Amino acid sequence: MKSLLAAEILKLRTIRAPWLLFIAAQLIVVAGVSGLMFSGTASHLATTELPAVRHAGLVALLSLILGIMAVAGEYQHRTITDTYLASPRRGRVILAKLSVYTATGFIFGIASAATALVATAIWLAARGSSLDLASGELWRTLIGAVVWNVTFAAIGVGLGALIRNFAGAIAAALAWAALVEGIVGQFLGRFSAWLPVASGSTLVGIRTGNQALPQWAAGLILVGYAVLFGLLAVQLSVRRDVT
Amino acid sequence: MSRIVLRGLTRDFGRVRAVDDLTVDVRAGQVTAFLGPNGAGKTTTFRMLLGLIRPTAGEALIDGLRYERLPEPRRVVGAVLEATGFHPGRTGRDHLRIAGRAADLPWRRVEEMLDLVELTASADRRVADYSLGMRQRLGLAAALLADPAILILDEPANGLDPAGIAWLRALVRGLAAEGRTVLISSHLLSEVAQTVDRVIIVNAGRLRFAGSLTELGERTVSIRAVDLERLRSAIAARGYVVDPTAVSALTVRGATAEEIGRVAAEAGVALTELSESGASLEEAFLRLTSPGDGSIAPAARPAAATIR
Repeated sequence: MKSLLAAEILKLRTIRAPWLLFIAAQLIVVAGVSGLMFSGTASHLATTELPAVRHAGLVALLSLILGIMAVAGEYQHRTITDTYLASPRRGRVILAKLSVYTATGFIFGIASAATALVATAIWLAARGSSLDLASGELWRTLIGAVVWNVTFAAIGVGLGALIRNFAGAIAAALAWAALVEGIVGQFLGRFSAWLPVASGSTLVGIRTGNQALPQWAAGLILVGYAVLFGLLAVQLSVRRDVT
Repeated sequence: MSRIVLRGLTRDFGRVRAVDDLTVDVRAGQVTAFLGPNGAGKTTTFRMLLGLIRPTAGEALIDGLRYERLPEPRRVVGAVLEATGFHPGRTGRDHLRIAGRAADLPWRRVEEMLDLVELTASADRRVADYSLGMRQRLGLAAALLADPAILILDEPANGLDPAGIAWLRALVRGLAAEGRTVLISSHLLSEVAQTVDRVIIVNAGRLRFAGSLTELGERTVSIRAVDLERLRSAIAARGYVVDPTAVSALTVRGATAEEIGRVAAEAGVALTELSESGASLEEAFLRLTSPGDGSIAPAARPAAATIR
């Protein structure tokens, strides 16, 4: 298992896409914070603090794309054959991928949270205000953002193993986030808060409806999705032919 | 001794039977060619052998085990499959480092293999900038990384220029000389004829021939007779190889029509048919792989029988 983990880390480090996703996430966080701070009026600056740091959670979409690369990316470049030849016990390969990509999602989350915090502090200072570091809600939002990134990375691994076509998996993920979840939510009524993007939003304190769940419950739901998609990834990968 | 054993190996894709009841052995320490036209089931057979595709029926064993049961598969089998790819953004060296990491090999093996396939100078370039020949060599380096005793190459000459093919031949001969078992697929007999010890020919998923090149090019005589049993013992008594299971017609390898006609006359058996066939290797190969001809079995069956 140790060599499998090391091989997965090496795979991730030796291509550009993960680094580009990482940089993109930080730039999006800085841009998102700046946009809010730039347009906000001085009197409302104190209430802009939380919406600003929430961007660290919203970039979980990039962690999702990172996760999709784990399996679907290998199918795209047809390196999956070599991977399974080196380690024909595919369940272990997928477990190694889940571990490495979840850990990378954690790094993405921590980095995005730090970037959001620093960017917000700098903007507030520039506009003559300051960050309220004693605010419990601030830290809960940041922790929620990290959990959102971690779980979405794991969900991405599962989605990539399910769809395997890289472009198809990315399209499905984006369509779900932008459109489909909203429609499905209409049918689910108060249970729409249990859907993945809604849970992530709750996790960083975005109220999606009047039936919003507590933050810890949203976190548990996302962990549940991550475990479910992880199991699905292992199951499907062990069974399918690699042609 | 057989290192690779296929027993009744069968695979259906929907309603198409890609590999049909394939039973054949690959002997240790030899170079065996796995020949057949495109679509004959060669790649599917290799992928079943390597645990990538599940057989519908039968089994494929390496040293008596299914590939996924081998404790350290890379050290036993090195494979270069046709649909194996490289991440275009990765350098050749990184590709090998990943393969080495997964198989727990020391770093120096990567450098040794880069030297062997003459890629050291381009090792830090991205694979996107590699020529097809360079990619084939990189694939070979990855397959040889763990110093496997068995090497499986799927159409390795595809895309190589004449110099590349000559290089590949020399490499395969060298690997065989070190006592390795090499199984190499091709749709062209001429490509491998100089390199191999044995050939296995498949067409439409079925075994058509397994034996040496000499046997493949051998003349065969087919005979039908009123008293087939008596003729069979008469021919066998002269030392010719006869398929003991044939019921309607006999096929005799390495004989001429004249020789067999004399044997029949001396034995007093009335013949109802006597014909001679076989000539160049290429002709024999084409005859065995002509599309849609399922009736060639008599030519192939005795061959399979003589080899076992």
